Amino acid sequence: MKPVIIFLNILLPILYFGTLSVYFYDFMRGEKKFFNAKRVLIFITLFVHIIYLFLRTSEFSHPPITNVFEIFTVLAFAITFSYFVLELVTDIRGTGPFIIIISFIFQLISSLFIQEQVVVKEVLKNNLLGSHVISALLGYSGFTISAVYGFLYLTLYKDLKKNRFGLIFNRLPNLEVLERLSFYSAIIGFILLSIAIIIGIIWLPKAFPDFSYLDPKLIGSGLVWLLYGIGILSKLLSKWKGKKLVLLSITGFLLALLSTIASNFLAHSFHSFY
Amino acid sequence: MNLFAISINHRTAPVELRESLFLSEEEVRSLIDKAKSGLLKEGLILSTCNRTELYGIPADSSLNHPLLQKFIVENKNTLKISEENFQSFISRESLEHLFRVATGIDSLLIGDNQVYKQVKDAFRISEEMQFAGFLMKRVFNAALKAGKRAITETAISEGAVTVAYAAVQLVEKIFSNLSKKSALVIGAGETGEIAAKHLIDRGIHRLTITNRTPDKAEKLAIKLDSSFLTFDQFKNHLHNFDIIVSATSAEDILISKKDVEAAMKKRDFASMVLMDIAVPRDIDPHSKQIDYVFYHDIDSLNIIVEQNLSKRKAEIPKVQKIIDEELDSFFEWYNSLQSAPTIKNLRDHFEAIRTEEVEKNINKFSTEDREKLEIVTKRIINKILHHPTTELRKVNESGTGAEDAVTKIGIIRSLFGIDKNKSDEEEK
Repeated sequence: MKPVIIFLNILLPILYFGTLSVYFYDFMRGEKKFFNAKRVLIFITLFVHIIYLFLRTSEFSHPPITNVFEIFTVLAFAITFSYFVLELVTDIRGTGPFIIIISFIFQLISSLFIQEQVVVKEVLKNNLLGSHVISALLGYSGFTISAVYGFLYLTLYKDLKKNRFGLIFNRLPNLEVLERLSFYSAIIGFILLSIAIIIGIIWLPKAFPDFSYLDPKLIGSGLVWLLYGIGILSKLLSKWKGKKLVLLSITGFLLALLSTIASNFLAHSFHSFY
Repeated sequence: MNLFAISINHRTAPVELRESLFLSEEEVRSLIDKAKSGLLKEGLILSTCNRTELYGIPADSSLNHPLLQKFIVENKNTLKISEENFQSFISRESLEHLFRVATGIDSLLIGDNQVYKQVKDAFRISEEMQFAGFLMKRVFNAALKAGKRAITETAISEGAVTVAYAAVQLVEKIFSNLSKKSALVIGAGETGEIAAKHLIDRGIHRLTITNRTPDKAEKLAIKLDSSFLTFDQFKNHLHNFDIIVSATSAEDILISKKDVEAAMKKRDFASMVLMDIAVPRDIDPHSKQIDYVFYHDIDSLNIIVEQNLSKRKAEIPKVQKIIDEELDSFFEWYNSLQSAPTIKNLRDHFEAIRTEEVEKNINKFSTEDREKLEIVTKRIINKILHHPTTELRKVNESGTGAEDAVTKIGIIRSLFGIDKNKSDEEEK
């Protein structure tokens, strides 16, 4: 099975690059030449990716969450999958390149550095940990997509204010739709992160004797959760909207990114496994 | 093909002359009646604000373009028009011109798909007046097919190419659903009315009109089934509108930045679009500095119009390709309307039926009878086709005119479904 895994590991960044190129071509040319082809391509990429993830899990007897590069490939899948669902639900196909590029980068890094890890700590084979990590990753992919739509909102807002009627004006959906997409992605991200936090709070103290609520990753995730919670509540209470809301989403994403980097690479705690 | 065409359009005549030749539907009908009595056998008259055109198959060989021009000009008593104000076409050129008109690439506003509808209407009138015969029906079906293909297969009609429509396009980049938005149109002149109509077409929830002369605002509001505000009151209601389109001839600024600021505060900074399509401007351009205020004047809207026009121009080669394809297809059909190929097609058609039936039933006959079956069935076919073949040969020899021959042959082909069978085979 290993040769297949190695082959898929090489194939995946190529597939992501192909999907990205087709989406990018359609965005630039606006001809809708690959209007349906790109949807088929993204589906094939996701299908190959899920087979790869299953094969890895089965071959190495643990879910692919035991090191940064395994996490990256799951993240690449989660982001593209979330985008794919969003595209199917809304039929808005013009924003794909801005999201798939993130998946491509994650997958490329993962494919370049991922290693066969047969021996892992026993705790990392636990199913509850799997649910905890997967829901957290899906949550973060929701925040990533929310931030991308937030960024696109700000770009279009600026272009409209400055009478710039270029590609962004011609290809992107309108401001209200971008704001809505950013908000809904943030809600999905928030719900999934909440699930991850709940599982974590219940299970982590039992699994790790050195568990501490002052763990940097816990504090970071808590802050991200709080920030999005405030944003969502403000929107629901009609207090915040538009620019303010999408800026909050971008800030939340950057905070999530910083907290992940800081807790994984700088600080050492029970929460770091690699 | 003996199809004549004359056209007076934006390229050949200034607007006063084009206007003087404009024909209402009634005038078109009365002109068709006159044309039918000795001038043309069949044809079509197309008259829009930018062009008046006459297409037709001559009733006799003495017809020429100057006669057709005289026919139209005399009817309207517009003596200022000279021969230079007309474009003249014959045969394939006439057809190509009609295709260019139907696809919108001959229009003043390239890609204007209104003209497609106008060609369709002109054809309907022609049919109702029994002025569209066998040949003209085919001509106009081909023209309409080319027009439809241009709209669906290319981007020739995409994007706004008028300032009023560009304003609506811009509004749709900010709001997702106009059916939940309200708009105020300031100025009940032509531009204001066009903008109001575009907003209604896009499903605006509530439309209000205001004008310095209240009667005009009220009249337009009634016409468009909307409400109106008095001019001295509208500033107090700015906050109630998501979209404000201003198109007055006022010399000074009507809405200051302060007015907009006050309105934005009242509406809790919900997005507001200000479209100032007046010259000189009606709204203080500094209003754009306020958050969530999207201010656009005529210059910025013209950028969109120019961009869209360039895009449409870039589509012309694609449309021309469609026109060439449809012309080729039409002439392939037209050239098949000759005696010799029709006789051959007719015989092939019957022979195919005979062979198929013989093959299906051959097992019902003994081996010695099978040869007889071939001979008898062939003899039946020959006898059936003898008279039509002789008549078809006569058609070309009788000298009653090429268009008559074409019509007769065309009817025979259509009656026996020859063209249908051919196209079915091609599809297979």
